[in-house]
Amino acid sequence: MNYKHIFLAMTLGAIGAGCSNIERSRDLANPAVPGHVLAVQVCAICHGVDGNSTSPAFPRLAGQQAAYIVNQLKNFRAQGRSDPAGSEYMWGLSHHLTDAQIDDIAAYYAKQKVVAPDVPTDPKLMAAGKDIFENGVPAQNVIACAACHGPKGQGIEAFPRIANQHADYIVKQLNVFQINQGRPGTPMEFIAHPLTGDNKDAVAAYLQDFPN
Amino acid sequence: MFALVKFFHRSPVRMAELACGLLTTLLLLGSLDAQALPLFARQTGQNCLSCHAGGQFPELTPYGRMFKMTGYTIGARTVPISVMGVATYSKVADTSKSDDPAADFQKNGAPLFATGSLFLGGKVTDNIGAFAQVTYDNYAGQAVGDSGNNDGRFQGHTNADNMDFRYADHLIDDKRDFVYGLSVNNNPSVSDPWNTAPAWMQYVPVPSPTSSQFIDGNAPFASFGSGGNIAGVSAYMFWNKTIYAELGTYQTANRGLSFLSAGINDANTTKLQGSNNPYWRLAYSHEWGAHNIMVGATGMIAHIYDLGSDTSDPGNLGRVKNTGLDAQYQYLLDPHTITAQLSYMRQVQDYSPNTLLNFASPFVLADGLTPVAAANPSDTTNVFRAKLGYVYQAKYGGSVAFFNKTGTANTLNQSSGFDTNGQITSTDPLGTGIASTRVTGNLSGNPATRGFTYEAFWMPIQNIRIGAQYTAYSKFNGATDNYDGLGRNARDNNTLFLYVWGAY
Repeated sequence: MNYKHIFLAMTLGAIGAGCSNIERSRDLANPAVPGHVLAVQVCAICHGVDGNSTSPAFPRLAGQQAAYIVNQLKNFRAQGRSDPAGSEYMWGLSHHLTDAQIDDIAAYYAKQKVVAPDVPTDPKLMAAGKDIFENGVPAQNVIACAACHGPKGQGIEAFPRIANQHADYIVKQLNVFQINQGRPGTPMEFIAHPLTGDNKDAVAAYLQDFPN
Repeated sequence: MFALVKFFHRSPVRMAELACGLLTTLLLLGSLDAQALPLFARQTGQNCLSCHAGGQFPELTPYGRMFKMTGYTIGARTVPISVMGVATYSKVADTSKSDDPAADFQKNGAPLFATGSLFLGGKVTDNIGAFAQVTYDNYAGQAVGDSGNNDGRFQGHTNADNMDFRYADHLIDDKRDFVYGLSVNNNPSVSDPWNTAPAWMQYVPVPSPTSSQFIDGNAPFASFGSGGNIAGVSAYMFWNKTIYAELGTYQTANRGLSFLSAGINDANTTKLQGSNNPYWRLAYSHEWGAHNIMVGATGMIAHIYDLGSDTSDPGNLGRVKNTGLDAQYQYLLDPHTITAQLSYMRQVQDYSPNTLLNFASPFVLADGLTPVAAANPSDTTNVFRAKLGYVYQAKYGGSVAFFNKTGTANTLNQSSGFDTNGQITSTDPLGTGIASTRVTGNLSGNPATRGFTYEAFWMPIQNIRIGAQYTAYSKFNGATDNYDGLGRNARDNNTLFLYVWGAY
């Protein structure tokens, strides 16, 4: 085996290949790479090929409303959404995306089948969360989640699907709405404001284990 | 790249000035903009913590491992250069038990600009990427004065550090997630995505002055006997984020591949026989929730010319066989990062016939008469290392590590012993008055070394780390007390190590 030849072949391959591997490219600055290719080659590493991410650090995107994904990606691209996780991970990745790529990525994840996470949840927490989801917390002027996110938490257009989302992600986003205003321009800023820690834990647990 | 290496090789002072200047710029920029990132971060536009667990480079997250396995090709091509600088301070517990403290503990207790690295790499095409580190060591050696001895002035030196050039592809469909690739690199396991691999397990950074010779970076870790600065190619695959396999082979980094050991003189370059020096790696990986685990095994057989650089005499050829086991657990969920690592390496070294033939121990037994036992033709060592680390908010971190090396005793490895007067002396077989080896002396010929390392660090911004490390030995070179026969104890080597590490 001649290493020199292997290295030479790699170098020549590098020069010759250019950016020709469009169908399996991880190039975030090439507008010719289709969004669904970037979805599986790049986004999927954290969010899962089928959108059912393993780690609660990354939101589940399977079955998410396409309009919501488009809004968020454009928000990241414009550096308008500045919650820490959003800016640290997503500003750079979305920086060069074209509108067409964003639409394609959104369509890819919207059509993925939701696989509910198999996490045992305390029945008392589930009951408390269900109550908030369906009825809100009238004493604290919190309206029901279902009012905007739909009776099955499936979302409607710009209102995201929240059913079967990671509980940790839900709690952290509610904290963002309450505290650091990293996601301006949504009614959640006012809706989430009165929620207590217990409220957030309960509704997040219920949403994660949302009955289908 | 050659030209660049040559330029820095010829101009160490300019390199130091450049590195200092760039570091200053970094500090200024860093204080203004926390998004100032090294080349990979510029390429993806992401924060360091996307790829590095809790931001503590070099340890990788699952995403960082995929970034590496897919050949550093995620993102957009960018300026392919980063710089890294390290300022250090080392203080050894006892410097009195030495014949020549000035030589044995150079720069002890002195703050230094220790090393600077230049990184070239990143995405080249959709399938090809690189990680190439060239390191400038400000304290690589000492100048020779008119007397023919070291005159105390240090000389900087630049050489090739870790290098990894890759071709990779990633095939994905409903049932399959398959990454495969090819790596040309200069250090066995530098291509490995897990940080329990030999090239990545020990604490970094590792400065070179002798006052730093007992810091954790120089303590035993599960390494390959071949060392780095050799040239290899390996093929690897990662199947369904579960099974990782890699198979490669190495040869001497000479001729067309000499850039992989650039800046290292011929005598210090590892000489391997042919290209039949296989390296293998197998690992099982699993992710659940915010947790992930890896259990793996690795090994290498290297046919090494162990007596100088004469490769024409087959009598100079020895063999080192390594077999290792490792495991890693990570919990990654803001604000917590927890990492537990275990690694174990068994090494069987068969010495070359000429090494054994030429060996005549300068020592006798305590009676001053009886010759010491003949050298063993082979040695076996076992190194075990465990590390537990925690980082909060990717800013404040700490870890504790345990290392334990055991092995066979061999008169070949004895570097102090009894002379014919029944007195203990350090190695000086030719009687030429060479520098004392008392501090690293080994009376028993046994390599047993054991200890703990404790570290705490703070990352004020993502590309600067300030760390304090303490390494405490309970055994060194085969003994707890008087390991060199001249009164030095293992605990005398305990070392406090402080560093400031910046990258841009």
